[in-house]
Amino acid sequence: MTPGYETGPTSDRQTSGLGFVGQRVKRVEDERFLIGKGNFVADLTPDGVHHAAFLRSPFAHARILSIDVTAAAALPGVTRVFTAAELNALTNPIPPFFMADGVYTPLYSCMSEDKVRHMGDPVALVLAESRYVAEDALELIEVDYEDLQPTATIDQGLDTSREQLWELADGNVLADTSFEFGDVDKTFADADRIITRTFECPRQTNQPMETRGCIVLVDPDSGHLELHNTSQAPHFLKWAIAALLVNDGAVRNLSTFLRNKERRKAFSSASKEFLKTNIDKLKSSDPAGQKAQLSKDKSMLRHQARMAMGLLAAEDYPTVKAGDIGGAFGSKGSVAREDIAVAAAAKATGLSVKWIEDRVENLLDGGQAREERFTVSMAVDEDGTFRGLKVDAVLDQGAYPAFPISGVATLLFWKVYMPGPYDFGAFQLNGKIVATNKGKVVPYRGPWANETFMRERMIDVVAAELGMDPGELRAKNVLREETMPAALLTGPTLDETMSVAKTLDHALSLIDNDQLARDKAAARERGHRLGLGIASYHEAAPGPPNFFESIQPGSDMFLYEDGRAEIQADGRIVMYTSQSPHGQSHQTTYKQVAADEFGVSMDDVEIVWGDTDRTQFSFLGTGGSRGGPLGAGVMRVTARELRRQVAAVAADMIEASPDDIEIVDGNIHVAGVPSRGIGYRAVAAKVARETGIADGPVFAESMKYEGVGNGGWSTATHVAWVDIDLETGMVEIPRYLVVEDCGPIINPGIVDGQVRGGVAQGIGAVFYERHHYDDDANLQSGTYMDYLIPTSMEIPDIEIEHLETLTAGENDARGVGEGGMIGAPAALTNAVSDALGVQVLEQYLPPHRLLELAGVIER
Amino acid sequence: MKNPPFNYHRPATLTEALDLLAAHGDDAKVLAGGQSLLPVMALRLGRPDHVVDIAAIDELKHIATASGALSLGAMVRHAQAETSPMVAEHAPVVAAALPHVGHRAIRNRGTVVGSIAHADAAAEMPAVCLTLGATLHLASATGTREIAAADFFLGFFTTAALPEELVTSVTFPPWSATSGGAVVEISRRHGDYAMCGLACAIDVADGVIESAALSFFGVASTPIRVAEAEAIVVGQRPSPALFAQAAEVVADVLSPDSDIHATANHRRQIAAVLTRRGLAQSADQIGIPV
Ligand SMILES: Cc1cc2nc3c(=O)[nH]c(=O)nc-3n(C[C@H](O)[C@H](O)[C@H](O)COP(=O)(O)OP(=O)(O)OC[C@H]3O[C@@H](n4cnc5c(N)ncnc54)[C@H](O)[C@@H]3O)c2cc1C
Repeated sequence: MTPGYETGPTSDRQTSGLGFVGQRVKRVEDERFLIGKGNFVADLTPDGVHHAAFLRSPFAHARILSIDVTAAAALPGVTRVFTAAELNALTNPIPPFFMADGVYTPLYSCMSEDKVRHMGDPVALVLAESRYVAEDALELIEVDYEDLQPTATIDQGLDTSREQLWELADGNVLADTSFEFGDVDKTFADADRIITRTFECPRQTNQPMETRGCIVLVDPDSGHLELHNTSQAPHFLKWAIAALLVNDGAVRNLSTFLRNKERRKAFSSASKEFLKTNIDKLKSSDPAGQKAQLSKDKSMLRHQARMAMGLLAAEDYPTVKAGDIGGAFGSKGSVAREDIAVAAAAKATGLSVKWIEDRVENLLDGGQAREERFTVSMAVDEDGTFRGLKVDAVLDQGAYPAFPISGVATLLFWKVYMPGPYDFGAFQLNGKIVATNKGKVVPYRGPWANETFMRERMIDVVAAELGMDPGELRAKNVLREETMPAALLTGPTLDETMSVAKTLDHALSLIDNDQLARDKAAARERGHRLGLGIASYHEAAPGPPNFFESIQPGSDMFLYEDGRAEIQADGRIVMYTSQSPHGQSHQTTYKQVAADEFGVSMDDVEIVWGDTDRTQFSFLGTGGSRGGPLGAGVMRVTARELRRQVAAVAADMIEASPDDIEIVDGNIHVAGVPSRGIGYRAVAAKVARETGIADGPVFAESMKYEGVGNGGWSTATHVAWVDIDLETGMVEIPRYLVVEDCGPIINPGIVDGQVRGGVAQGIGAVFYERHHYDDDANLQSGTYMDYLIPTSMEIPDIEIEHLETLTAGENDARGVGEGGMIGAPAALTNAVSDALGVQVLEQYLPPHRLLELAGVIER
Repeated sequence: MKNPPFNYHRPATLTEALDLLAAHGDDAKVLAGGQSLLPVMALRLGRPDHVVDIAAIDELKHIATASGALSLGAMVRHAQAETSPMVAEHAPVVAAALPHVGHRAIRNRGTVVGSIAHADAAAEMPAVCLTLGATLHLASATGTREIAAADFFLGFFTTAALPEELVTSVTFPPWSATSGGAVVEISRRHGDYAMCGLACAIDVADGVIESAALSFFGVASTPIRVAEAEAIVVGQRPSPALFAQAAEVVADVLSPDSDIHATANHRRQIAAVLTRRGLAQSADQIGIPV
């Protein structure tokens, strides 16, 4: 229980003068969630909707010799059975999105028709009157499979003699890239010592409370599709569905269009104009990725024409609506193959279709993460000075590259993040991606997080080798304000928000070393071992203006966030966000921000999200810890602009100067004279009268917001105390401390919740959660009996200290959604290493493994 | 994850239930609390044509004692037994086991007898039955019979009950003031099935252990007693050294499997630790601190 949560102000009462921002305001979402009145996809069952179920491969790798759906189609209650071939004919292949030199991304279709590549691969789709009947029908479909050799592990993925998942790849290695910053050879030659270790991170799966799901409604007259979906990124989904459903109309239009001479002329001059204005950007974008892709597979070009957004007419786009979403952790930012298949089925039949993923499907392929290996070499001097870092990394992407954010994005983030908040002189990353016969890898809360695990674990290894204290070794090498360079070695610029040193110093000051020694001795007495572990990191949340340029040139669509504010003719304030909240309490936070700007209560502000007809385009939706800095930032600036406009009209009405206007509790008045005030309703009514707008916005402003400063970093240091029972291997976490800095906090209760949730998932990663495939790539953790998510019983109290570094700019909140999960695995494994006196080289430590490491039992 | 179609029956009397089972035999399944049967059906791992729900049968809802022996009817929920003073008094080892069975929400519906009939090798209640020498009471349309717990559990999810039989109740023999017992287990998370668990009981007279029962769960296809370890402690005075000796024998005798939650070595290690802990708790209960 968060102290103070209960006593926080509620949304209908403005604490006079103080405003809502910075206060532990109760979440406005909670009531509807807690009494079962949320608006989740599964709650909607439109009349006449048909229920979809997918037939999924029971094999990890197999050729499909034949498929027979006759009996299934004949089952009473079944509307339609689609084979993979039928649905694939209605859709375009899923293209690569992130491309980089040395990377090949296989194109694939929404269903698997000739070959299955993992357990759960979809091969047929049934529409029926109920999900029950649909599942009955699945059992009647006969598929003839021929076994292929499966690839189950990173080692097998690297072994080029094995059966390939993708014909055009080199074995199962899809990416082999290299990045270098500084003079690595010289730095390593000059350093006193080079220390090398290999770290293994096993697979996890994002497990939101709500699985994925979609409903596709078809307008009987226009054929227009309306998707209700659990999407973190509804606008991207809207584009993807438009682009990936075969649309011969659009292609035909293009050819007729080009046959007309006049139009062709206009088109070519417009293209020239486009080239001229964007030449710098085009020049700076790196074509190596495209080249690498095309050297393997030119088919992308064939599909590009259809997929290019510009060729689609407005009516080709569906409407996407995301209501309440029960978590995602990154998994719902990907466009699901199922989303495409269901939309294609709805479009082909003209029927409304509902698919709600069940937990078995979700564990098979709802999104998996973090199976990676790192061989790390650190060049250091005897006095503990960090000199250089060299990392050979392999990422196991599973069978299909997620769309749009595949493993390539993780490699690119590693390239920028790996040296961390330390002063390394040189850094090299050699990154590989292997394809294996397992579920697809998606971004998972801090998708690059294992770079922090491997670096912070490695720092403790180095400390042990040099005989130094791990805290002191960090303190010696961390970037400090006094000597802060203008930019990180890997490119992104820095400012005072790169405050890792402050979090580290503060965390170290909260560790009582004498007490620790006493606690360690007491644990020993009981046959236990106690250890302490530290981990520090920084996160671009949203990062500096050149952050995405450093990741991949030309990705500036991530830089800003759009927003819109309106005052309706009846005086209501409506704010539109392109975010797609799924548990982060955007509604509360944004109401706090807007209410303060407008000088009204939170209940006076309506927040609109998730509906692509009403909100502006955003590639990412909710992701990348942007909801606080950019999402709330754009709410603030648009609200401020509209308040200015209202104040100007109001000033006129009450014959005052706009500069003297103050708005408190919705009363617009001259400062000091509240009795002569008017309300938003009166101002809106006046404008409505004058403009003749009876219904709709009388004030409206759409703006973009890019964040502030040259940093935008969110930082933290975690400290974990771990106690291990050497008889049983059972673990307790007697203390867990997070010192974090996400800038000025909008709602401390919500920030604490984000930190705790992230740490809980980090605890899961180390002690409970492993998505386990056997040597033949059969999933072993296919239910919650075997995929263990920590419950409240396993999560300790978490102490949180906020530092709130301010910059010169306004709207300075920085993201905090991912950090908890980034820091925890390193802090915990460092604590285990300290407790057992063994340098742990793996991230997942179930009780038996702890006892093996402690030498209590044999492997 | 939706079950295949089935015919649902909700008989009001035991006779009706037994007639239904007689009529449908192999094609029927008894539904008690549904906490194991319904997931199995939803995953389509089991597909009975007929489900006979016994929840409405009042004859199966008793918690009673006769000459000191405790009897639990087939529809007694885990939670009812857990909070029953009669169970606490007459079968403290049963009471000790119940908090380990899943979570409260599961215990609100799941039944003690259902757990025994289901015969999950990792479940607490079958091991408790073995340790206490419980008797299962079975009925079919053609008659009734009793089976000792020692003869009831035949393998993974397999018991001596026939498809047309219903387990109507379980009885536990009288518990004496000279008896001590405990249920100890190690599970990955609170409420999970144990990686390994132990239900144990000892009888002590004049400071000497007269009889002992050690039944382990989660380490074989059924709960198993380790007679070799029991033999070590019988006739001896409780002591840490004695219990450690028993623990060593347990680790030697058991040959558990490895799975993704625990290796065989880990299970053996835990079994040894639990032997010490369980026996010490049992002795402690009769006022012999070890
Ligand atoms: C999340 C979860 C965690 C759990 N954790 C544990 C745990 O830690 N330890 C544990 O022991 N159990 C655990 N369980 C199982 C729970 O204890 C069940 O209650 C128990 O296994 C079966 O009892 P039931 O009444 O629900 O039986 P049902 O599910 O109704 O039936 C189970 C089987 O027994 C048969 N059956 C039931 N009653 C009779 C009868 N009277 N005669 C003949 N056959 C009968 C049924 O036909 C069926 O085959 C867990 C369950 C869940 C869902």
